[in-house]
Amino acid sequence: MLAPIAAVLSLVVVFPILYSLYTSFFSLKLTRPHRVPFVGFDNYLEVVGSDLFWVSVVRTATFTVIAVSAITLLALLAALLLNETFRGRRFLAAMLLVPWAIPTVANGLMWKWIYDENFGALNGLLRQLGVIDRYLVWLGDPAKTLALVANAYVWRAVPLATILLLVTMKSIPDVLYRAAKVDGAGVVQRFFHVTLPSLRPGLVMVLVFETMLAIRHFDLFFILTSGGPGDASHVAAWHVYVETFRNLSFGTGSALAYMMALATFAIAWVVIQMLGRRV
Amino acid sequence: MSTAGVARRDLLKYSAAAGLVGALPRRALGAEKITFAAWAAAVDQVKAHITAFEKETGITVEYTNAPWAQYRETMVTKLAANAPIDIMWVSDAWLAEWVEAGWLQPIDGFKELTRYNEDAKPFATESLIYKGRQYGLTYYAGFMGFLYNEEMYRKAGIAAPPQTWDEVTEHALKVKKAGLAEYPVMLSLTNETWLIEFLSAMVYSHGGRFVDDKQNATMHLPKGGALAPLKWIVDAVNTHKIVSPAAVTTSELTGLKAVASGAHAITLLSENRLRMLNDPKQSQVAGKIKLALMPKGPDGSNATVAWTRFYGLTKHGAGDPKRAAAAAKFIEWFGGKAKGEYKFQKIMYTDLFAGFVVKPLFNDAELKNAVKEYADLTIVGKQFDLAKKKDVMTPWFGEWNETNGKLWQSAILKKDTPEGALKKSADEWTKLKKQHVG
Repeated sequence: MLAPIAAVLSLVVVFPILYSLYTSFFSLKLTRPHRVPFVGFDNYLEVVGSDLFWVSVVRTATFTVIAVSAITLLALLAALLLNETFRGRRFLAAMLLVPWAIPTVANGLMWKWIYDENFGALNGLLRQLGVIDRYLVWLGDPAKTLALVANAYVWRAVPLATILLLVTMKSIPDVLYRAAKVDGAGVVQRFFHVTLPSLRPGLVMVLVFETMLAIRHFDLFFILTSGGPGDASHVAAWHVYVETFRNLSFGTGSALAYMMALATFAIAWVVIQMLGRRV
Repeated sequence: MSTAGVARRDLLKYSAAAGLVGALPRRALGAEKITFAAWAAAVDQVKAHITAFEKETGITVEYTNAPWAQYRETMVTKLAANAPIDIMWVSDAWLAEWVEAGWLQPIDGFKELTRYNEDAKPFATESLIYKGRQYGLTYYAGFMGFLYNEEMYRKAGIAAPPQTWDEVTEHALKVKKAGLAEYPVMLSLTNETWLIEFLSAMVYSHGGRFVDDKQNATMHLPKGGALAPLKWIVDAVNTHKIVSPAAVTTSELTGLKAVASGAHAITLLSENRLRMLNDPKQSQVAGKIKLALMPKGPDGSNATVAWTRFYGLTKHGAGDPKRAAAAAKFIEWFGGKAKGEYKFQKIMYTDLFAGFVVKPLFNDAELKNAVKEYADLTIVGKQFDLAKKKDVMTPWFGEWNETNGKLWQSAILKKDTPEGALKKSADEWTKLKKQHVG
């Protein structure tokens, strides 16, 4: 009964994964089709020996830390708000989902327009508010680039994280809050001693999930910055794309993709070990 | 693969095939079916010209296209998988890479095609030659032009376009001082396929080169390299503030729109953008944008860079003499003459303003008249005569180009010195060259 599904999965999932591992041991360059020598771990050594690879590691780590911290914090605040009963809560919850419903590419194009140096909405708004007296360069300023891409990423990622945390929050037994109140705990104490510990499963899920997504994020870098200016947003996913699809070096591209996947799993494992022991 | 061996065999094969074209009865040749792959441009014009070709020759053409942005990757994948494609549009930037991969075959065995070289601008034929063999006929060509807004110039009290890059700075500062533009010069320096064209135009007009004839890096040399133009850009952005720092994230299309909105007085753009910029339906500065010869650097000339896109014959197309003969007919119909005239070149220029390289057409009264509202064909022809092909067209061009773009941006953003960035670019070139040729 399950054999056909297993066969299809093997064909479309298992085979490509194993084949890309196989590919990573060859110097496979699509524009040099007649010479594909076996190079063992040379592709991996070449990758780690490249300065640009380490630049991409630093950029990815920076982007991930900014994005995941902001998503977790904002989602936690939004979940706390939506966990309360107030007029318009349902409408607010529905509105919160809008960014999540916007396709990634549309989101990228929207932020590209917002950040545009010549006619962007951000410059227009800040100028009307009197915050700036002349249009500023946003994505073209390497000091701001990663934070601005992270901002666009966070805007779209917060709703899902909020839902995950809200679901966990809803499952916290009311009796715990009542008991805390009886013990004289205030709002802040109830948050730190009841809500936060009970949220641990949801927080672990959000941290692991968002970390994995942020490390591998590509779309916004493709649309907003193309890895630039200079190497200001040259993250790991962009590095894999350039190596594989622009340089058409499938050997080193596969090696890079494997290293990225392993790093993602390792980080997820560490987060689970650190925070999820009592989940 | 022995190039010399193949060359001799090919020459015999193509000579035989070429003879066959004349000898075969039309019906026999007409039984052929050929496939033509192109990027999605001028689709209606191409289809109409194919229909006329099929009617004239009886040869059936299967036409497919893919978006330009993904064209190289799409074609490389297809060619690596031995897809049955006979003729394709190719960019001069990929010539060396695709020849080395064995996907492009020379056409110099077809005398009915090479005879058109006499009529072509020299840079165009040079752009089609790799290791002494010719690999196609031009589909369209363009050059990086120096464009300026005549009205802004007049308002700023400047009588004539600049002759040198120092004058460009001077004029831009005047325009800025007159309050006509915050950043009078628009340069699109984002890391996209256009970037090497902008940089090459700057380098050539300064009398420099990225590499010498033996493909050794010269870009980092204080004289004859790329240092002077890079320093000009760095100063324009950081010292004179006549180019926006946002140039490093400005694509060619975004920059074009900004010029069309009247935000800039001076720009480097492909000359075929003159049509859009001078079209009142698409531009707020219609009729005001003029083409001037590329200004000279201290050791330079009015040289600029030009590019060609061409009809290339694939390994599959050349694999069978009858198919090769049919493919040659097709290439001639599009890249040479159709029924005794340069029909497709004229259609492309009048309909889409896609440049041609055929010398006689520069004196064509009909063409001059058709485009007079957009451009002066005499200056276009003059600038074409001073144009050079890109000197970096090698099998490792794509990889180097990616790094080079980043390094120029780093220097412009003052994250590196011009000397340091060019040294790194030269090192990357040398490393890649070593990997490819030992």
